[in-house]
Amino acid sequence: MENVVTDENWKTCFCQLAPGLVLFARQWARSSADAEDIVQEAFVRFWRKQHDVSNRGLLYATVRSIALDFLRRDSRRARRESTAMSDVDQSVAPAFEIEDDAQRALVAALDHLPTEQREVLVMKIWSDLTFAEIASALEISQNTAASRYRYALAALKKNLATT
Amino acid sequence: MNDFSELEDQLRKLRPAQPSADLVTRIERALAEETSTPTAAVLPRERRFQFNWLSLGLGLAAAAALFLFAFIRLQQPATKAPNVASTSPGPVTATNAGGQFVPAGLTQVVYHTRDEGLHFPTSSSEPMRRVRSQTRDTLQWKNPKTGATLRISYPREEVSLVPVTGQ
Repeated sequence: MENVVTDENWKTCFCQLAPGLVLFARQWARSSADAEDIVQEAFVRFWRKQHDVSNRGLLYATVRSIALDFLRRDSRRARRESTAMSDVDQSVAPAFEIEDDAQRALVAALDHLPTEQREVLVMKIWSDLTFAEIASALEISQNTAASRYRYALAALKKNLATT
Repeated sequence: MNDFSELEDQLRKLRPAQPSADLVTRIERALAEETSTPTAAVLPRERRFQFNWLSLGLGLAAAAALFLFAFIRLQQPATKAPNVASTSPGPVTATNAGGQFVPAGLTQVVYHTRDEGLHFPTSSSEPMRRVRSQTRDTLQWKNPKTGATLRISYPREEVSLVPVTGQ
């Protein structure tokens, strides 16, 4: 494990993956600081176990697992455990660098997506994961991942059309 | 999927916010430490020692069963034998040169005998009755100091010719 410290490759890997990972973690975190803490813990754990960095499905699964643990450890544990996913839906929005109103509307529409659709969309659009990698990260079938992606796009399109 | 291509392009134009600059530094520091670093908000879960009582119970039960089985086998060398032909208290030879084990018994159990009728062996002009018997011999040695026992058991088949007395 000591060679990990001297191995600078992780910086290159991490800098490429970091925006997508933090965005992915923000679905369960209330702030970007929390999301970064989740990503930090996940990446350190992933790297220490000497997993192959090309295994992005496993890396995202690690982030997701730690994010869900983070939710459970929250001080609002009891309230969150009863309505965990709906609470997340209401409180968390992906963080983007918004340039105009159209993008603002798009981000607002993203905020209304169900978590199971939004996490697939985030991994597909902003991390370029394949459906196989998404399926691996979420422990679902590739067909389910593809279906959720299509449902997410359809829901976004419908939402944008009404606004 | 073509229906969504324009929407996908719009989504890709959205840029995720960049992580803070010190995130890399924090990770670098965490990787440099010998053990994982607790962060301000995310504490690594403590690895609690989880005692598996079911495995312990099953293991103890298996060990007890093995011990009981071995004990019963040692305590019942030949008592259930159907037919004891002969028993002598002392076997003929010692088992090792060191003399730690001393002969403790020899048991011969005849568990099957079959009369195969009269035969006329070539070497004899008189008829003889051929009797085939199957025997299990058990030799036992014991170490008086440690109480350890050593048993050797083997099957043996014996064919004997018994002269028939003319009546």
